[in-house]
Amino acid sequence: MKNTNMKRRTFLKVTTLAGGGLLVGCTFSSPKLMSTPQASEEELGLWVRIGTDDKITLILPAAEMGQQAHTGQAMLVAEELEADWNSIRVVTAPYHSEFINLSSDPRGIQVTGGSSSISFFWEKLRQVGAGTREMLIEAAAQKWGVPTSECKAENGRIRHSGSGRSLSYGQLAADAAKLSPPDSPTLKSPDQYRFLGKSMPKLHTPDRVNGTAQYGIDVRRSGMLFAAVSQSPVFGGQVKSYDEVAAKTVNGVEAVVPIPNGVAVVADSTWHAMQGLAALKPEFEGGESVGLDSTKVTARLRAALDEMGKAEVTAEKVLDVEYEMPYLHHAAMEPMNCTAHVTDDSCEIWAPTQSQHECMESAKDVTDLSEEQIRIHTMMLGGSFGRKQTRDYVEQALIVSKSMQKPVQVIWSREEDTQHGIYRPTSMSRYQVGLGRDGLPVQWESQIAQPNLAAQFFPLAGWLDFDPMAVAGGVHDYGLFPDHFYKVEGVETDHTGVELGVPIGPWRSPPNSLNVFYTESVMDELAHLVGQEPLAYRMKFLTESPRHKAVLEQVARLAGWGDPLPEGHGRGIAINDWFPLEEAKTVVAQVAEVSINNRGKLKVERVDCVIDCGIAVNPDSVKAQMEGSIIMGMSAALFEQITLEDGRVTQSNFDDYRIASMRDTPEINVSIVKSGSDPTGTGEPGTSPIVPAITNAIFAATGKRIRKLPIGRQKLI
Amino acid sequence: MTELKINGKVYQVNAEEDTPLLWAIRDSIGLTGTKYGCGIQQCGACTVLIKGRAVRSCGVTISEVAGDEITTIEGLSPESRHPVQKAWIEEQVPQCGYCQSGQIMAAVSLLERKPNPTDKDIDRGMLNLCRCGTYTRVRKAIHRAADMLKEAS
Repeated sequence: MKNTNMKRRTFLKVTTLAGGGLLVGCTFSSPKLMSTPQASEEELGLWVRIGTDDKITLILPAAEMGQQAHTGQAMLVAEELEADWNSIRVVTAPYHSEFINLSSDPRGIQVTGGSSSISFFWEKLRQVGAGTREMLIEAAAQKWGVPTSECKAENGRIRHSGSGRSLSYGQLAADAAKLSPPDSPTLKSPDQYRFLGKSMPKLHTPDRVNGTAQYGIDVRRSGMLFAAVSQSPVFGGQVKSYDEVAAKTVNGVEAVVPIPNGVAVVADSTWHAMQGLAALKPEFEGGESVGLDSTKVTARLRAALDEMGKAEVTAEKVLDVEYEMPYLHHAAMEPMNCTAHVTDDSCEIWAPTQSQHECMESAKDVTDLSEEQIRIHTMMLGGSFGRKQTRDYVEQALIVSKSMQKPVQVIWSREEDTQHGIYRPTSMSRYQVGLGRDGLPVQWESQIAQPNLAAQFFPLAGWLDFDPMAVAGGVHDYGLFPDHFYKVEGVETDHTGVELGVPIGPWRSPPNSLNVFYTESVMDELAHLVGQEPLAYRMKFLTESPRHKAVLEQVARLAGWGDPLPEGHGRGIAINDWFPLEEAKTVVAQVAEVSINNRGKLKVERVDCVIDCGIAVNPDSVKAQMEGSIIMGMSAALFEQITLEDGRVTQSNFDDYRIASMRDTPEINVSIVKSGSDPTGTGEPGTSPIVPAITNAIFAATGKRIRKLPIGRQKLI
Repeated sequence: MTELKINGKVYQVNAEEDTPLLWAIRDSIGLTGTKYGCGIQQCGACTVLIKGRAVRSCGVTISEVAGDEITTIEGLSPESRHPVQKAWIEEQVPQCGYCQSGQIMAAVSLLERKPNPTDKDIDRGMLNLCRCGTYTRVRKAIHRAADMLKEAS
C-alpha cells in the first residue's frame, strides 16, 4: 500500500446533503471539520457527491477543453473510491481556493494550465476517493456490526465477506456522512488498479457526437441578449466615431455600449448584433502599435540582438547562424465568447475559461460586488491552447450586462478573434558554437531577442529584463533553473526583451515552442557540420539523461531510423522535455519523414512519437494529445504566422490564417514508455519537437536548412 | 415568416430572409449543436445536411433553403446511433469536440456519395478544420463507418 509523497496533511471533511447523500471535501489549510449539514457546497470546496440513487458526481478542478482532464481526474477518484464507472458524472468546480493548482500558476490562483491537471492532483484526488471509500466501509461495518476488515468496496457497493450481504454507496451515503473522516486514507498499490493505466472511454464523447455538449457559446438564459463587439484593430487604440443611428435602424438592435478600446452592439440575436455592428461602422484612433509592421518588428528584434553583440568564437569549426520565428495565433475553433448576468446585488458568469481567477477579479472590478455575490460557471471550452485565460472577453460581457441589466452573451466574430489574440511571441536568435577536434562544442553562445512573456504575469521580470521563457527549454547557463538535458560545455546564453505593443501570451507549450526549434535545429546543424549522424551525435550529450536517451532510442526503432527511403524523402529527429522549469518532466521525442517532389512541394508523410510521462493514467488520452500536438506543431511549422501592417494584424480568418487540414495530415504512430513513476503532463510536450523534426527532415532530403518559420513558400529545391 | 423543415419538424421562423441558416438554427430554433466557427464557409463547424448534401449553413440564407429537408446533428438519428456517430465513439475521435458536429455531418454526406471512400476521397471530401488535430481519428472513423454501413445493407 502506497501512502507517500504527501507534502502536506490532507484533511477530509464531510457533510450531509438535504435528502440524504454524502459530500466529501478535502482541504490542506483548515482544521478538520465533522459533518456540517448547514455548510454549502462552495464553503466546503467539495469533491464528491453521492446521491441516494447511487449516482456519483465528481466536482473536478480542471476546465475541460479537449485535453480530457475531466476523464483523467475522474479516474483518479473512481479508482480509489471503487466506484462503478457508469455511475460517474462530472462537473467543473466552482470558484474556490480548494481547487487552486499551483503547477498551473505559481501565484496560487485558480486556473487550468501547464499540462498539470493530472500531475498536480495525482495525490489529492486519490486521497479524496480513498477517504470516501473508507467512510463507506465503516458505515457498512457499523450497520452490520462486523469489523471493517471483513468489508470490501467493490464497484459501487460494500460487501461483507462472511455473510455475502452488500449495500450500495447510495444506501450508505447518509450514514457515512455522520462519521469522522480518516486523516490519512490508504491508497491502492498499482497492481490493484482497475482504471489507472487503462484506456477509458472519455466521459464527454457521447455528448460531443450528438450536439448536446454545452460550450460557452451555447449558453442560453431566459430573456438574454447578444452582443457583437469591435475593438481597435491597432492595439490599445480608442474609438473615434461610430454611427449609432444607423446601427439602431437594424432590426432587433437594442443598444450600443462602450467597452474598453471598443464598442458593443446589443441585439435580440447574434445575427442582428453582427448586422448592427456592420452598420455602426466604428472608427478608431491611436494605440500602442501605431505604425508597426512586420518589417519593423524584424528590425527591432535584429537591433536588440546586435545590441547584445556577437561573441568571439575561436575553434576548429564554428557554426554562426540566426533564426527567426513569427507571432502565432491560438485559433481555437470556438471564438471568444462569454455570457454574464449582472444585477444590483448579484453576478453570474458562464464562461469558456481556463481561469476562474480572471473571471472573479474582472467581476469584482466591473460590478463592485463581493465574492459571495458572484457565481462563475465554467463551460466546456471549444479549444483554448492558452488563449481563454484572459479577462478581456469576460469583462466585456460584464460591462454590457451591467448596462442592460439582463443576461448578455458577448460573441466575437472570427475576424475579431484573429485580430485580438494574445499571440505566441515572435523571436529572433543567434547561435555561435565553436567545435573541438572531436566535434563537440567547446563554446556555445546564444542570444535571444523576443517580447518578455514572463512579464505578462510577473511585472518584475520586465523591470529586470529577465524572462525565464526565453531561457528554459534550450541549452542555458542559468544556475537558477534545472539544467538542460543536453550536457554542453562552454555555454554562455543571453536574452533581452523587446516591447512591441502587441499582446502576447502562452501558446501551447511555452517556452518550448520557441526554444526547442532553436536547440534541436542547432544540434542538427552541428552534427552535419562535423559529418556525424544526427541521432548518434545527440546521444553524446545525454550521458547524464538516461530517460531522454531511452526515449530517443525507442523513437528511432519505431520510425525505422536509418532504413532506406525513396528519392526525395528525408527523416528528422527532435526531443524535448516538459516542463523545463520543474524537476519532474515528461520526455517526448519525434521523428518526421517528409517528401519533397520535383516541383518543391513538401508533404509530411509520417510522424513517429515516443512519450515518457510517468504512468499514463489514460493511455488513449495521452495518445490523442500526442496526435493533436503533432498536427498543431506541424501546422505552425508549415503555415502559420501573424503579421502586422499599419499597427494591426494582417490576418483575419481561416482563409488567410491557414491551419492544417485533413490533406496535410501524416500517418502518426505513438508509443508510450511503460513507467511506474508519478504522472507528468501530456497536453503540451508533443507540440514543439515536431517543428525541428520536420525542418531537420527537409535538410536530410534536400540540404536546405530552414532558419525562419513558417516554411510557407520558401524554396526547398 | 420563413418555413424551415429541420429534422422532420416544420418551423415558422420570424427572421429576415437574408438571415444565414446557421443563425436561424442556433438563435431562432435553438438547436445549438451546429456551431459558428468562421462565418465565411472556411471551417465547416456549421455543416448541416440539405437534401442529404453537406452544406455550410453560414453561407446560405433561410430563403434559399425554405421548404428543403434540413438535418442537423441533433436530427441525425434518434438515439445518436447513426453508424457515423457510433464509429466516432469507437475511435474516440473528439478532443474539445467543437468542430465534431460539422465533421460528422460532412462524413455522412461523403459516405452517401462514396460508400467505400479511399484515403484520397477522404482528403478531398473532408475539408472541415479541427484545431485539436483529430484528423487521423476522423479518417479511421470514416473507414469504420463505411464498414458498418456495408454490413447493414
